[in-house]
Amino acid sequence: MNRLQSDLGFPLLTTTSRSLSARPGATVVFFPSTLKLGFIAIIFLAVLATGCHSPDDSYAPKTRDPGVAPGEVLLGSSLALKGHASFLGTQTLRGAMSYLNHVNEQGGVHGRSIKVVAYDDSYDPPMCLANTQKLIIEDQVFALFCYVGTPTTVKVLPLIEEARIPLLGMFTGANALREPFSRFLINVRASYYQETGAAVRHLVDDLGLKKIAVFYQYDAYGFDGLTGTELALKRFNLAPVAGGSYNRGTLDVQEGLNKIMSSGAEAVVMIGTYDPCAKFIRLAHEQGFRPLFYLVSFVGADELARRLENQQGITVVMSQVVPPPDRLDPNPLLTGPDGYVTLLRRYYPEDQPNFVGFEGFINARVLVEGLKRAGTDLTRDGFIDAIESIHDMGLGPDINIAFSANDHQGLDRVHFTRLENGQFALIKDWAEIKAQLVAPR
Amino acid sequence: MNRNVIREAAKRFRDISLKNKIFFSILAVILIISAAIALLARWILVDNLIDELELRGIAIGRTIAERSSGYILDKNYPELLSLIFDEAKLKERQHLVSYIFVSDREDQVLSHTLTRAFPESLRLANRVPSDETKSVRLFRLGEQTAYDIAIPVTQGIYRIGTVHVGLNKDHIDQLVGKLRTTFLGFLSLVVVIIFVITHRLAKYITLPIFKLTQISEELSKGNFDVKLDAEQVSKGGQPLECPAFANPDVPCRHLDGNLGADLHGDGMAHGNPVCRDCQFYRRQKGDEVAQLADAFYNMIWGIRLYRRRLRESEKKYRSLFDSGPDPIFVINHQSFDIIDANPRAVEVYGYSRDELIGKPFTELAPEHTHEYFQSLQGQGETHGLVTYPKALHYKKGHKPFYVNLHASNTTYKGQPAIVLASTDITEMVEKDAQLIQANKMKSLGEMSAGIAHELNQPLNAIKMGSDFLGMMVEQKREIPPSDLQQVVAEMSSQVDRAAEIINTLRSFGRKAELVIERVDINKPIQAVYSLVGRQFELDNIRMELDLGRGIRPIMAHDNRLQQVFFNLVANARDAISEKKERLPGRPAGRILIRTYQEGDQVVAAVEDDGIGISDTVRDKIFEPFFSTKESSIDMGLGLAITYGIVKDYGGDIQLTSQEGFGTTFKLSFSAT
Repeated sequence: MNRLQSDLGFPLLTTTSRSLSARPGATVVFFPSTLKLGFIAIIFLAVLATGCHSPDDSYAPKTRDPGVAPGEVLLGSSLALKGHASFLGTQTLRGAMSYLNHVNEQGGVHGRSIKVVAYDDSYDPPMCLANTQKLIIEDQVFALFCYVGTPTTVKVLPLIEEARIPLLGMFTGANALREPFSRFLINVRASYYQETGAAVRHLVDDLGLKKIAVFYQYDAYGFDGLTGTELALKRFNLAPVAGGSYNRGTLDVQEGLNKIMSSGAEAVVMIGTYDPCAKFIRLAHEQGFRPLFYLVSFVGADELARRLENQQGITVVMSQVVPPPDRLDPNPLLTGPDGYVTLLRRYYPEDQPNFVGFEGFINARVLVEGLKRAGTDLTRDGFIDAIESIHDMGLGPDINIAFSANDHQGLDRVHFTRLENGQFALIKDWAEIKAQLVAPR
Repeated sequence: MNRNVIREAAKRFRDISLKNKIFFSILAVILIISAAIALLARWILVDNLIDELELRGIAIGRTIAERSSGYILDKNYPELLSLIFDEAKLKERQHLVSYIFVSDREDQVLSHTLTRAFPESLRLANRVPSDETKSVRLFRLGEQTAYDIAIPVTQGIYRIGTVHVGLNKDHIDQLVGKLRTTFLGFLSLVVVIIFVITHRLAKYITLPIFKLTQISEELSKGNFDVKLDAEQVSKGGQPLECPAFANPDVPCRHLDGNLGADLHGDGMAHGNPVCRDCQFYRRQKGDEVAQLADAFYNMIWGIRLYRRRLRESEKKYRSLFDSGPDPIFVINHQSFDIIDANPRAVEVYGYSRDELIGKPFTELAPEHTHEYFQSLQGQGETHGLVTYPKALHYKKGHKPFYVNLHASNTTYKGQPAIVLASTDITEMVEKDAQLIQANKMKSLGEMSAGIAHELNQPLNAIKMGSDFLGMMVEQKREIPPSDLQQVVAEMSSQVDRAAEIINTLRSFGRKAELVIERVDINKPIQAVYSLVGRQFELDNIRMELDLGRGIRPIMAHDNRLQQVFFNLVANARDAISEKKERLPGRPAGRILIRTYQEGDQVVAAVEDDGIGISDTVRDKIFEPFFSTKESSIDMGLGLAITYGIVKDYGGDIQLTSQEGFGTTFKLSFSAT
């Protein structure tokens, strides 16, 4: 109503008064101009007052943010702790918890220990939805942390927007988390578009491949990767020669494989999880199909490597959003006193360092930095502002965390690894791979 | 009380300017219509929106109800949540759907899309009766209001739960608000446009009216030099270019219509002419306002022409007035105050013009003026001329003089008035007086013999007495005292008698005073008798007097009346003499003078038994220089003078005569 008045009422009134005062001087007594203006104004106000009220779109009463207590800050997580993607969820959580336990031991952040409530959603979007609602309403968490998967995370986006709760660290590069920009979503890892974009560049430029097919999980995650690949190929005036898919949670890859095989693809971009992807590669090899297999990071390097342990003669490239955690170069982020490797061994000794956990660890690093910067008077808004103030947090060589008011993606760098000797190692030279491909089999 | 307020308001409304009247009327109508349209639109819109909203909500609810039955039965709450969540948050829906929740048969909430604790009041707010397929209720959720649409979830015929779709009413309100905003924006735009238009229009109408009103006011003050506007002045040209303006005698149809138009002299009706290219009277083609301005201009031009004519006419007559050879007065027809006087009046009456203006006319002419002017007043305008001869007026310093006064009705400066012209006849009157005097001298001459005779007697008596006394002294005889006394007394009385005769003579010969006085009619008669009575007896003419008693006096001059009676008895004597001469056998020699009062008339009759007056002579007898006598001594003025004198005193003289028998002159005067 105020806007209305100021937009319509006052300019209107000045227009009126201008036209009245421009009248040539008359000696006949007219009704005074001010009265006329007042008359008009009263009419308008009367009409306006008959019921324009500004809608209040938020019914949430503004009180102190939940999940914050003098000695504790409570975070919530819903991720795949069971089921066919359980490795991803479990390792992400453990990697994060390694760091958080360490921090809590040191006294927490501003005297608050960081507690994480985690529910299993088994990579099932409805379950993730239910869990998230529970976390928000019942557990009253301060923020959400370490979500895994595209369909699951995307599903809860409206909930996050409505509850105005920050979500930090998603093990997914889905574009939906980045566009449209949301203040409440804080991505750490690079996006699928970035991954596929970089990959396609290497495939086309470095390896000279043109016939590229896409094998994808038939859900939001797969579609996202497919779109990323298509966009990347379009930049080279190329398009995927074939597209094959499978349903999430199943291993029905043959149909997709057939499609791709008949296209004569030179490389297959694979957006899926480790089990179906591993099966696809094995079947392809058995059926004499030997393209270059490129997989996005989400597939899960370590699990995939395990499943392809005894496979020979395959070229498997995977993009990673973090550098390999078992690099031989000394890296304080890994091997330092508060490094991932060190802390993982301390808190989860039976686990091997892996990409996924490393990511979780880095998520925790970012979280703690944000909490530190947010200060003692911890609010959700303050926390987000704190994160945005991280402009150049170097966690190690090749790992630089940078946020800003309109950049909620911490890492931008994509690393490429290749399966060698049962392990994924950084690719140092693409020419080698090229040579291998050309060599006749 | 209310009626008074309304009446006050109506009065105020009438009094505000036309421009504002137009503006407010149109504005009020526009606003009323717009408000009506707005309300109507809103009513229609809101009703339909709400209906549509309900329908959508019901559709969503039904969809959910169908798809959720499996999940409810399986107690698969995550899937249920996912279902309702999708329905609630699907892109555009999220603005429409405030919440969705599903409850079971016992109204326990199975799943909901809120991000805070489920409000208890909502749970039971809208129950669907068992025989209904839906229920819609308005529910207040925090700051928002929502339509809760409840759809039962059925498996076969049994209800297993209820889907509640909460539709955001604010959505509707926003739409309505947007509508209102748009409408108001449009309305204000319309108001501004109407404002500008009506302002222009009203000004276009009222500004000329206002100007014309101002001009009318100027005109009513007599200021005719008003210029309507520059354009018209420049177009109009110089006033003197108009022939009717330059010469007031030239008729113009615009000005005079067709009054007095018959220039061709052929008896047929022609109109007054107009100039082929009239510069001044216009008939523009335009709207009512332009035509009004034109008519106004024409009217002003006509008035200017008319005034000019009037001025010229006035000038003409003013110059006549100013240069009139006789004094001219204009007096107020009721109070007889002098309104105007020409320079000659100033000259003659000796007062300055300022002194004259406002002076009552009776101050200059005291006698007779009041009744005199009464006779004029009944006679209407511009007709009726009344003449008053030999009126006595007074110059400054109370100097009297005689005038002939003519008066007639007129209008002066639009008001009825009387215009008087006075011709100074003092000289003439003096000449008259001189004539009378001459006549008198002649009479005196005639009387001289008689007077001499009359005087002789007392003188003889005195001589005798004194001779007697002288003789006695001479003879040294003693005069007995009684004899002496007798003689002396007789001598004294004879002296008195002589003196009386001389006095009478003297008074006869005196010139009359100007001022008339009260006169007893008997006195002059007696005086004349004493002068000529004895003489007449010597001629064997017997003069008898029959004088009435108690007769009221009349306003006259005594010695003039003496002259009158002398003339009359002289004529009577002459008539008797003539009769004796010509008709010797007839009785002749008696003159009877009678006086009596008849009503308010005093009458004196002089009767003789002379020769009489023939009919032919009778008419001319009072004419001056007419005489029946051949004698050159007689100028024939006697009766003329008599007539003049009688008339001077406002009297009347009547003549009855019978040839051979006698004549009677009857004089009547108004008693005082």
